[in-house]
Amino acid sequence: MITRFITEVNTRFNPFSVRSRATRLFLTYLPPNARAQGMQIKTTLLPRTSAEPNTLSVKFKDGKDMKLDGETLGIKGIIEEVDRHSRALQKQADLSEN
Amino acid sequence: MPPRLTCSAHSSVGRALLRTTTSSTRVPILLVQNAAKITSRQYATAGSPMPLSALRLPDNYIPPTQPPSARRPEERKAQLLRSYTALLRSTPLMLFFQHNNLTAVEWAAVRRELRAALVEVPSPVAGPDGSVPVDISSSIELQVLRTRMFSIACKIVDYFKPEDQVEKSNAYTHDLSKTAYESIKEATVDESSTYGQINPLIMGPVAAVTFPSVSPVHLAAVLKILSPSPPAFPAPTRRKSPGYHDPIAQSGFQKLILVGGRIEGKAFDNDGVKWVGGIQGGLDGLRAQLVSLLQNAGLGLTTALEGHSKGLWLALEGRRTQLEEESNGGKEGNAENETNV
Repeated sequence: MITRFITEVNTRFNPFSVRSRATRLFLTYLPPNARAQGMQIKTTLLPRTSAEPNTLSVKFKDGKDMKLDGETLGIKGIIEEVDRHSRALQKQADLSEN
Repeated sequence: MPPRLTCSAHSSVGRALLRTTTSSTRVPILLVQNAAKITSRQYATAGSPMPLSALRLPDNYIPPTQPPSARRPEERKAQLLRSYTALLRSTPLMLFFQHNNLTAVEWAAVRRELRAALVEVPSPVAGPDGSVPVDISSSIELQVLRTRMFSIACKIVDYFKPEDQVEKSNAYTHDLSKTAYESIKEATVDESSTYGQINPLIMGPVAAVTFPSVSPVHLAAVLKILSPSPPAFPAPTRRKSPGYHDPIAQSGFQKLILVGGRIEGKAFDNDGVKWVGGIQGGLDGLRAQLVSLLQNAGLGLTTALEGHSKGLWLALEGRRTQLEEESNGGKEGNAENETNV
């Protein structure tokens, strides 16, 4: 996963729900030095009885705020969506460098 | 083994005498003995008159030193599974943390701070009967779990009861046995059971802090380090423990998320774990609270029951004095009161 262009990750999930799986796994895809490079990662845990949906929002360097539904996408779908935008940003960065 | 000849240095005097005197008669005896031994050694070979099938082991024979397992030995993670079931059976309090890509130095820093915080927990005081409880702080450990194995171990602990399998003949009842495997396979998991609730937690990278007994003091110390929440469980101050505010340790703590706990065989979420950690004085404190609650209830009940009769008595007494005053006149009543006083 391309994490260079992500500036902020906000997650909110109930760990006792099976549907929170993809949202939880997304956190594990962030590299170990993500916080040191300025990425802001915020996690809120919901209590066990809450039926609120899990939310995952990712902000990029160009200001795009991507809200992803982890319950339907799955971890592969989430990574695909994030990478799609990251690749576009990567392309722009490469062109501007040259 | 060749037949043993009497040629040792410890041969007795009698035998030596026999050899010197009757050496000619000695040989036939030896031959006879040899012949008898040869026939006895040939007894179990293929040429023996006994049928071969009688000597074969039965098909369901299980060697006592090698109990059967559910998996082949080469792909067995038996030891891990056994250690997890033993852990689950012996550990009443367990906290689960999701760890997101901690590096080795961060793990070391996290463990160092945890150890330092547990050392500062006051050791238990002796009880009224003079017995000192065991200090558990050295046995509290943070370990990374193999989630699938751990999930299966949870299922075995919850759904496999060796007592139910006793009447089955030739059935092993250890955790790796076929009976255990079948019973967890047949088990229907509902959401309300402990396994049903723990299972979604055990997903992705998970580490567990294991406590050998339910001790809210130690739990609070661990929560202050690994999952601080300011009002009840504040993180240690920079002056008190500078190592905690070390950048490597801090980045390690930021990557640990407390997802839940397993306390006395029940699943607890974040708030539940914090509630247990907030119990003042541990189990004894809870008992003291219960005793005071019961005492207060008794006191309240007696005062409530007394109250009515007291009120009735006061009302009747007041009415009596009033009637007496009315019948005798004010002066006598006053005089009576004065004499009474």
